[in-house]
Amino acid sequence: MAIKKDLSIEYLGVKCENPFFLSSSPVGSNYEMVAKSFEAGWGGVFYKTIGIFVADECSPRFDNNAKEGVPWIGFKNMEQISDKPTELNFENMFKLKRDYPDKIMVASIMGSSDEEWIQLAKMAEQAGADLIEGNFSCPQMTSHAMGSDVGTDPALVKRYCEAVVSATSIPFIAKMTPNITSIEIPARAAIEGGAKGISAINTIKSITNLDLDNMTAMPVVNGKSSISGYSGAAIKPVALRFVAALLQDEKLAGVPVSGIGGIETWRDSLEFLLLGCRNLQVTTAIMQYGYRIVEDMASGLMHWMDERGYDRLDDFIGQALPNIVPAEELDRDFKVLPQFDDDLCTGCGRCYVSCYDGAHQAIDWDAESRRPKLNDNCVGCHLCLNVCPVQYCITPGEIQFKEGRGAHEVALSSHYV
Amino acid sequence: MSEVRRESYSSEAVRGFDHRTAMEEAARCLLCYDAPCSEGCPAGTDPGKFIRSIRFRNPKGAAETIRENNPLGGVCARVCPYDKLCEEACSRCGIDRPIEIGKLQRYAIEQEEAFGMVEAGSASAPAAGAGAKVACVGAGPASIACAAELARAGARVTVYEREEKPGGVLTYGITPTRLPQKVVDHDIAAVRALGVEFECGVNVGAGVSVDELLTGRGFDAVFLGTGLWAPKIPDIPGTDLDNVYAAADFLKLARVNGGFPDAEGKTVVVIGGGDVAMDCAATAQLSGAKKTAIWYRRTIAEAPADMSEIRYVTELGIGISENFAPAAVEKSDNGLIARFAGRDGASEAAVACDIVVFAVGQGAEDARAAFAVSTDEKGLVAADPATDREGVFAAGDAVHGGKTVVDAVAKGKEAAAAILAYLNQKGVK
Ligand SMILES: Cc1cc2nc3c(=O)[nH]c(=O)nc-3n(C[C@H](O)[C@H](O)[C@H](O)COP(=O)(O)OP(=O)(O)OC[C@H]3O[C@@H](n4cnc5c(N)ncnc54)[C@H](O)[C@@H]3O)c2cc1C
Ligand SMILES: Cc1cc2nc3c(=O)[nH]c(=O)nc-3n(C[C@H](O)[C@H](O)[C@H](O)COP(=O)(O)O)c2cc1C
Ligand code: SF4
Ligand code: SF4
Ligand code: SF4
Repeated sequence: MAIKKDLSIEYLGVKCENPFFLSSSPVGSNYEMVAKSFEAGWGGVFYKTIGIFVADECSPRFDNNAKEGVPWIGFKNMEQISDKPTELNFENMFKLKRDYPDKIMVASIMGSSDEEWIQLAKMAEQAGADLIEGNFSCPQMTSHAMGSDVGTDPALVKRYCEAVVSATSIPFIAKMTPNITSIEIPARAAIEGGAKGISAINTIKSITNLDLDNMTAMPVVNGKSSISGYSGAAIKPVALRFVAALLQDEKLAGVPVSGIGGIETWRDSLEFLLLGCRNLQVTTAIMQYGYRIVEDMASGLMHWMDERGYDRLDDFIGQALPNIVPAEELDRDFKVLPQFDDDLCTGCGRCYVSCYDGAHQAIDWDAESRRPKLNDNCVGCHLCLNVCPVQYCITPGEIQFKEGRGAHEVALSSHYV
Repeated sequence: MSEVRRESYSSEAVRGFDHRTAMEEAARCLLCYDAPCSEGCPAGTDPGKFIRSIRFRNPKGAAETIRENNPLGGVCARVCPYDKLCEEACSRCGIDRPIEIGKLQRYAIEQEEAFGMVEAGSASAPAAGAGAKVACVGAGPASIACAAELARAGARVTVYEREEKPGGVLTYGITPTRLPQKVVDHDIAAVRALGVEFECGVNVGAGVSVDELLTGRGFDAVFLGTGLWAPKIPDIPGTDLDNVYAAADFLKLARVNGGFPDAEGKTVVVIGGGDVAMDCAATAQLSGAKKTAIWYRRTIAEAPADMSEIRYVTELGIGISENFAPAAVEKSDNGLIARFAGRDGASEAAVACDIVVFAVGQGAEDARAAFAVSTDEKGLVAADPATDREGVFAAGDAVHGGKTVVDAVAKGKEAAAAILAYLNQKGVK
């Protein structure tokens, strides 16, 4: 029998059947798409951003970057907000809420003036949206009065939040841009302006590849290209970092965060939850694989909860956050030497190459047996462990304490996949 | 000199995946829309879905999908002729080579075992005491699949097996090099966890009759999955000599004893050209025979055996002689002489050996006498899957002749659906 666990969660006063939502993007841009995603198991949608401004898009508008045999580790898009008529979008939203009352509808909006923000917020309320998200973060708008140019200006963020909050009682969420050093600063401004929640992150400004025929970036639009948003698996580390920064900020204590960026699997989802997110959003993985990925996100998370004996998400949300500490607080009393399993080792010598050329010349190479042997130079950096192609061949071994530092218990990872 | 493979009778010949290599293979999967591989599986194991689960780091979900669709998921992962089924259908063939679906299936089931999912899941078995009662005769793939499907629908199922252990051909036929016994046992444990009871050492038709099951023991329906166990030996002189075996008996002796007893240093002649002949030859060689040779009346091109099996025995150093049919077995001073007549009508061969194994097919036992059901001209049970006897159903090799495990699973599942429809119609809940 397939596993069953309660994945429901309360988010900004709204009861969600699960935390898995479509993030605002083409994956949620009309009735049929969103309906299909609901049938597949998504708990809700941040509908494609709606403005008074209707986008005039370029073609082509996507690129991806690859590494060795793996295509699409990151994704670049040059798309703006919805290119469909404003009224039609709100009408779709209304119908979806009518036909799927238990699914959560979040209207994503973007204005270029107080008046526009107010107008859009009122339309969202009329359409029956459960929540409203303000898009302060699209990095490739053709107007600088909108998008991430606004999101990096705390005063503007605060002002537009105030405008929205004055027009509706529906909880308002500010979606932040990662194209900034301290994401907390505009986030605080949003909360001061009356926003109730924060979403992060939108896409990262990027150039993925150059086209050598046209001497410009990809994708090539009539011989030219632009810097634009990067998303997908490759940005998860950056997204987790910004999410942790928001959740650890004292001034933002208690503000619910919706995590976005590179989520593909239950494990990615769990990582955002363990930092403290109460909601999760996905675009790129859906564009690549389809709505069906939610099946394994839900099933995998349920299995993990089952293994750990958890019955609800609130049992573990935020558990990892306190363990992410400033660099100066780390225990620097010891080094963990790598240990090598000579039976598993295939004798490729990659550990030797990397340790010599990129670390501390701490591996001697036995040319006869084609096996690595650790010498006294090892500092315990674990470059070798990261480079070894054989699972569980190099693992953390002996713990050595530095001169004059007392021996004590040391917690290590034992799981390397 | 060529390097022949040397391995032991009881250890599995093919290495499985670890997490990393499984992910590498799953990453090759194209995650097709309307996956052709899933269409290609007769038992509906749904590889398109379970490979996607592996790819998205959910091997437990993958195991659930397999288990739900195919109660012999672990066995099928080892013995299915994938190259003619799911892997042949795989879209990736259009790029380079198919996804190793069988091996990924094996990985998922190994994860299921490593995580103790079967034990953990047995808690959720439907409560015994409710539901219709069904008896399945024979504990081979057809009965096992039928029983699992019925139990999931709430029926109380007892499987009767005349041998000491359940599994049919899986336990008493296929060599453990290809199918370790623990794989069979694990799949059967998962079926037990659904509440299915196995009673071994019961020969239905001899010890207890179908009548007794339907009336005396109160079963609402009976399923016959008795397979093909009558040895087929050609009508030639000398087949009654010592050390002349039918394949089924030869393989069974090997399975029960962890290798064919007494094969050490012997010369073995295997007669036949199917998978069973290949298994007999491999068994002889892996049991320590000095020399094993296969003699076949047609050509390799005409042989029903899977090419991978032919390749495997060749790698073990076993030769195959084509176009020679058995003519007689004779006793000699220090063993036996197997005599063959050439297909050309002119050639002849005499082979000195110690053991002769006939692997020329299995026949049906007399089902008419044993179970009072009609049979066809080949002696196979006539069933669709209902037999002409009310409340009695049949499927698997006993009905369709020698097929495959996955086919028996598919037919067993279909029979379960027919039984449920029958019970429903009769108003048995
Ligand atoms: C040596 C060999 C190798 C094979 N290799 C492969 C392979 O690699 N891949 C593949 O897909 N297929 C293979 N097959 C074919 C496959 O094993 C069969 O098609 C399959 O097992 C049929 O399942 P079944 O349930 O119909 O019958 P069986 O597996 O034959 O099971 C029937 C069971 O019923 C029991 N039984 C019979 N009569 C009675 C009775 N009166 N009372 C109680 N119990 C009874 C028998 O003891 C037996 O346990 C092989 C077959 C053989 C013989
Ligand atoms: C093609 C494309 C269009 C997008 N459009 C919007 C948008 O209209 N509004 C918005 O808030 N974010 C938009 N995003 C950003 C995503 O919602 C999301 O924040 C980002 O892609 C990171 O998540 P991911 O890695 O799951 O894709 C878009 C992203 C992509 C790839
Ligand atoms: S994905 Fe669809 S819309 Fe886009 S270019 Fe291809 S066919 Fe056209
Ligand atoms: S990288 Fe790993 S497999 Fe390669 S030589 Fe080093 S220890 Fe062995
Ligand atoms: S057909 Fe092949 S490539 Fe396509 S889903 Fe199935 S295994 Fe993957």
